[in-house]
Parts: sequence; structure tokens; C-alpha cells
Amino acid sequence: MKILLAEDDSNVSLITQLCLERIGGHSVTIATDGALALAAAQAEQFDLIILDGMMPKLSGLEVAKELIRLGLNKTPIIFLSAKSEEKDVQQFLSVGTGYIAKPFDPQTICASIDAILKNKAVG
Amino acid sequence: MKIRTRLNVLAVCIMVGMCWSGRELLKSYEQHRDIQTQIDEILDLRGTIVFLDLNSFDPKLSTVLKEKRRQLGTSKRAELVSNIIQAYNEQDPKIMRQRIYQFLKTDEKSYQRALQSLASADKQVKTFASITLGFPLMGLLLLMFLVRSHLFKSLERLNRRMMDFLVDRYSFQFTEPENNEIGAIQRTFNSLAQRVINNMDELKSLDQAKSDFLSIASHELRTPMTSIKGSLSLLTNGVMGKLEPQAEKLLRIAEMETDRLIRLINDLLDLAKIEAGKFPLAGAWVSWDETVLKTNQSLLGLSSTAKVNLYAAPTPHLEVFIDRDRMQQILTNLISNAVKFSPDGGTVYIEVGRTGNGELLVQVRDEGVGIAHEDQELIFQKFRQSSSPENPIVKGTGLGLTIARALVEEHGGTIGVASEKGKGATFYFTLPKWRDAYGSSPEAIREAA
Repeated sequence: MKILLAEDDSNVSLITQLCLERIGGHSVTIATDGALALAAAQAEQFDLIILDGMMPKLSGLEVAKELIRLGLNKTPIIFLSAKSEEKDVQQFLSVGTGYIAKPFDPQTICASIDAILKNKAVG
Repeated sequence: MKIRTRLNVLAVCIMVGMCWSGRELLKSYEQHRDIQTQIDEILDLRGTIVFLDLNSFDPKLSTVLKEKRRQLGTSKRAELVSNIIQAYNEQDPKIMRQRIYQFLKTDEKSYQRALQSLASADKQVKTFASITLGFPLMGLLLLMFLVRSHLFKSLERLNRRMMDFLVDRYSFQFTEPENNEIGAIQRTFNSLAQRVINNMDELKSLDQAKSDFLSIASHELRTPMTSIKGSLSLLTNGVMGKLEPQAEKLLRIAEMETDRLIRLINDLLDLAKIEAGKFPLAGAWVSWDETVLKTNQSLLGLSSTAKVNLYAAPTPHLEVFIDRDRMQQILTNLISNAVKFSPDGGTVYIEVGRTGNGELLVQVRDEGVGIAHEDQELIFQKFRQSSSPENPIVKGTGLGLTIARALVEEHGGTIGVASEKGKGATFYFTLPKWRDAYGSSPEAIREAA
């Protein structure tokens, strides 16, 4: 799968990339803030977009809303966030396909992604 | 004007009025008495004259008459009496009769006059007596009016203002206090209200600051934990290549401690949220067995590592009104504790019963070392753990029971433990809202009882 990963913390993005590439065998493109992520999503077709909840310039939520507004809503979006409050999670799920809480387990992130995408396909 | 001033003015008016009318009453009474005396004198004199014996001419009576004549002074009547005395002394009945007749004619006139004055004096006495009595009555009426229109109405207005403040302190309008004693109370109340409003604003901003802190803290704590956990996991699982056995062991230790740290962070943030009242429950009717099953499934890893069985007594048809995620959190805390303190091959029982007043009683029983009596209340406090777990597979954060207690209380229940050292422990909590397919419920049970 071609995955776009938007994450401002370079450590987190490196580790997530390693997980996705080495364990899941996906190919990962990294964007370091919301604006870059938006540009990348418009320039290229991805199979999955993973957005960090809190990023400089544009937050993950704003990027997702903008993509929907631009009609680029075919690509599933999964949020990655340290915010676990009920209202935050609900907001993520209202615009995205899924939500994975930080800190996540690298061993299970690929499984979680597969589960979310499979759920969506079924739904 | 102040109510006290009004009352003082009223009292002074009444007192002055009463003094004046009292004096007038006294004066007219004295007048009345004088006239009465005058009339008595007239009648007395007339009686003496009319009953003079014109046959005997008693000289003693002449002296009496002279005495009375002297009292009359100089007047027409006195003159007439003198004439009678003269005729009496001369003992001439004919002239006597003539003179007596003359006297009576004049005397009758003054008698009638005196009677008239008496009547008018009588009227005056009555009038002033009524006025004197009327003043306090009028004062009483005025007092009632004053109390009603000023005191009671002001008090009512003040009470309404206070009620307004109670109902909605945010849109409370401060009004100019009235210029009386009640106004002074209102002024005090206004300052109190102002202070309350200020304090509330302060509390609100403190509350907001706490919320902001929680939000930032959770983000700032979890982001680095993601990197650490991710790195360690990639290394220990050989994704980055084979490691020396010793190095792998060290990394596993680091990984385990990281997990513990993450649990601690999550527990701390949960607890902070619960304590800040930012943990609204999403209550719904859910199957009890399903909730327990899900919890047990998530604990399978832990229980199989510890070689402990989980046994949940089946309760088909039982539904409870709970927030399922939070209930799983409560059960996870209690069951994982029980597993941790269970011996190898032991069993943790999850059973359901009823309390005396019809509430659901959930029990998590283990066959472990038990908890000393003096520790039983302590373990529900933050960072307190019973000493020396014999089976330290997963180290706790010391917050699990504190969170469980807070969450049980959010559900309207109570939590506790029954245990004896060496004989295992039974953690229990109550749930007020449950029902089953047979129509049983707390209400039905209470009614039956």
C-alpha cells in the first residue's frame, strides 16, 4: 500500500515509517506538517492517509476537512493522536475512517490499520 | 426617608396629639363639674326657699338663708334673696309669697341657662374623650400602613432580588439600594453577590487552566512515549536485525518499564479527568455477560502468563445500565489485581449477586494471599499497594483501585473489599441500575420486600 504519513515529530514519524515498511511492507511518504500533507495528498494518489491530530500550520482534523471539501475523499484517513478525550475521538471519527491512540504498539499498528480498512470495506 | 425616622415622627405626632386632647378633656371635665356644682347650688337654694314654712317663720331658717345669700355675692338673684329674707324677718306671708314668686321666675331662667351649659360641657367632654382615645387607634393604623408599605414591601423586593441571584447569578442586575434600613441590607447583599461572582469567575478560569493542562500534558507525555515504545519494540522484535541475547534482555526490561510508565500516565490522566468532573459516562443498557467476556478476553494474555484461570458465573438475560468502556476499566483493574495476587493454578471468580436493597452486587474473588485488615481501606488510596505481591508479573501503578472506586461511584455504586490474610480477597461493588429478562429489577425487588 502507498501510505501518506503526516506527523510533525520526526522521531515518531521515523518509527512509524519503520513499522509500516518493515512489518507491514508498505511504502511510506512523510509530510512534516499539515500544509505539506495537504499538498502531497493533492499531488499524488495514496491508498491510505495517516494524520497526526496535532500538527503545526494545519491540524490533522483541518487537513481531513479540507480534503473532503476538495472532493478527495476516496482515500481512507486514519488519525493518530495522543488526545484520547471522548469529544476528540468523536471528532476524528466524524471525518476519518479510524483512530489509533498514541502511544501505539508498533507490533499492532499494521494489524490495527488492516482491521480499520477491512471494517470500512465491510461497512 | 428611613423607616426609623418615620416611626419616630409618627410616635411624636401621636404623643403631642394625645397631650393636647388630654388637656382639653381635663379642662372640659372641670367645666362640667363647675356647672354641676352651680346647678346643685341653684336647686339647693330653691328647695330651701320653696319649703320655707310661712306659718311658723322659724328664725333658724332665716340664718340659713342669710348664709346662702352671702355666698351668692352681688347679683340680681342675691338681691331677690335679700328681699325674701327681709320679708321673712317681717313675717308677712303675703309679701313673702310675692317675693318668692318673683325669685322663682328669675331663678328658673338661670336654672335653664345652667342646664344648657351643662349639656354643652357634657358634649365637649365626650368629644375630647373620643379624640384622646382616637389618637392611639389612628397611630396603630398608621403604624400598620407604614410597616406594610415600607417594611414588608422592601423586604419582599429584597427577597426577590436574592432569589433572582440564586436562580441565575450570571444575568444578575445590581440595583441601587433603597434609602432605608432594608437598603443597607441590600447593599451588604450586593457586595456579597459581587464577591461570589468574582470567586466563580476565578474558579472558572482555574478550571479552564486545569483542563488545558490535562490536554497539553497528555499530548506532551504521550508523544515521546510513542517514540520510545516504538523504537524498543522494533529492536526487541528483531525488525532491525538480530541482537545479542543480553542486549535483547536489557531492551525487554526497558520495554516492560515503558509499558508501565504508559499505564501510569494513562491512569494519572484518567484520574485527573475524573476528579475534574470531565469524564462523562455514556450510560446504556448492555448485556452483563458480554461485558465480562470482553474484559476477560483482553486479560487472557495476563492470566495465561500467570497460569491463573478466570471463571465468570454465567448470568444470561442480565442487563446493566453502564458505560461499557468504563465498566471494562473497573473490571480490568479488579481482575488483573486478583490475577496478580493469585497463586499458580489458582482461579479468579467473577460472580453476581444482590444486595439487601436490591442493587446488583458484583464480586471478584481470588485465592491469593489476602489483604490484612489494616490495609483494606488504604489500598483504595492513590499510590498505595498492599505489600509484597508474591507474583509480580505486572507491576501496578498504584492507581487502579483509586480509579475503580471513582468510576464505580460515577455509576452510583459503592466499592469495597472483604478479606482475611492468607484466605484470598473478594473485591465487590454495587450497581444500582439493572434488569433481567424475567422482569426483575431493583424496584421490583424492593416492592416485593
